[in-house]
Amino acid sequence: MISSDVIRGYIDTMILYLLLNEPSYGYEISKRIRELTDEKYIIKETTLYSAFKRMEINGHIESFSGSETYGKPRTYYKITEAGKMYYKEKCKEWEITKEVIEKFILREWK
Amino acid sequence: MNTIRNYLDNMFLGLPDTEEVIRAKKELLTMMEDKYNELKDSGKAENEAIGIVISEFGNLDELAETLGIKHALENKSDILQVTYEEAENYIEDKVKTAPKTALGVLLLIMSPVLLLLLLGLKELTNVNAKEDLFIAAGLAVLIAMVAIAVSYFIRFSSKLEKYDYLEETVFELDYKTEYKTEQMIRGIMAQDEHSYKSAVSISVAGYILSALPVILTPLIFDIDGLSVISVAVTLTIVAISTYNLISKSAVNAACTVLLQQGEYSVKSKSNKTLQTVTKVYWLVITAIYLAYSFITFNWAISWIIWPVAGVIFAAIQAIAEQRS
Repeated sequence: MISSDVIRGYIDTMILYLLLNEPSYGYEISKRIRELTDEKYIIKETTLYSAFKRMEINGHIESFSGSETYGKPRTYYKITEAGKMYYKEKCKEWEITKEVIEKFILREWK
Repeated sequence: MNTIRNYLDNMFLGLPDTEEVIRAKKELLTMMEDKYNELKDSGKAENEAIGIVISEFGNLDELAETLGIKHALENKSDILQVTYEEAENYIEDKVKTAPKTALGVLLLIMSPVLLLLLLGLKELTNVNAKEDLFIAAGLAVLIAMVAIAVSYFIRFSSKLEKYDYLEETVFELDYKTEYKTEQMIRGIMAQDEHSYKSAVSISVAGYILSALPVILTPLIFDIDGLSVISVAVTLTIVAISTYNLISKSAVNAACTVLLQQGEYSVKSKSNKTLQTVTKVYWLVITAIYLAYSFITFNWAISWIIWPVAGVIFAAIQAIAEQRS
């Protein structure tokens, strides 16, 4: 189980990745996160919703309503140009973060 | 499914009904229902599915900042809360009593009219009646009208007394229904706006026109009696304009109080000195008016104190606001 503190800074990145190719909605995104991480990370509904709102305010995603199988209108989210730029930056940032933290990780215990 | 809905209802219990909160609740419910349906489809038992959905829901604290509900979650407001019903009752009672209050003011302003007419007629016709008789009759009517007006004011002010806190103290609309209440007030205010604005413009036109009789009569006719009668005409126009203004502005006034705008803003209400000064000021002006009028019997002139006092009051208010 991962601590949510560590992952918090990259939730936006995860969502943006999932929106890169096509718009999606709340449950689908949470499901794909669960599947992609082999159930190692399960995003809480409140975490996801607050991420949506934050990203909307930051202009990284936009919402629109579409309809889905149960006939209920569902809120869809799509990535914006600013969102794509932000995503690229976060990817670079992660590379560096990974490198930095890596220096302090002991692989073999003597 | 009902269990999930109830759970969410409970989580949102006591939160303000703002648009953001309602939207969040709706979307969270959709996400939970999606998850529930899929768990059921994959063969999970009802209870197990519900258990998973609820355990993975998270915590509303996470949404506090985004939804602007921090204050509601912490629930530490010690400011007076005004509920939807209270607001509705206040507007209703204000509207109900307005025509009667307006009538009281009309009687008060009109009270010297008969006296003035009789004095003027006496001068004009030179009837052989004793002046005292005219004065006595006019005064009797004046005092009767004032008495009726005062009894009106006492009756209605005691009815509206329970709402004094709305006008005097700083309050908040109850956060649970804040959005709904504010929408209701703004809706009523918008609906009334046209009628209110036309009432104000008609009354202002009346006030301006009311000056004409007293100004023009002495210029055109050089007769004392007519001048006295012209004051009666002026007072009548002022009285009707004021009646119109008070009775038609009740809705707007009530909404202004509830939205804490203008002289009922949080800033003005916090200024206790101005509140005291206002009360004392108008009492003193009334005392001066009555004393001067009764001692000198210059009813034809003494009414001027009202417009003058009004303008001076506006100046005092402006100065007080700048200081605070």
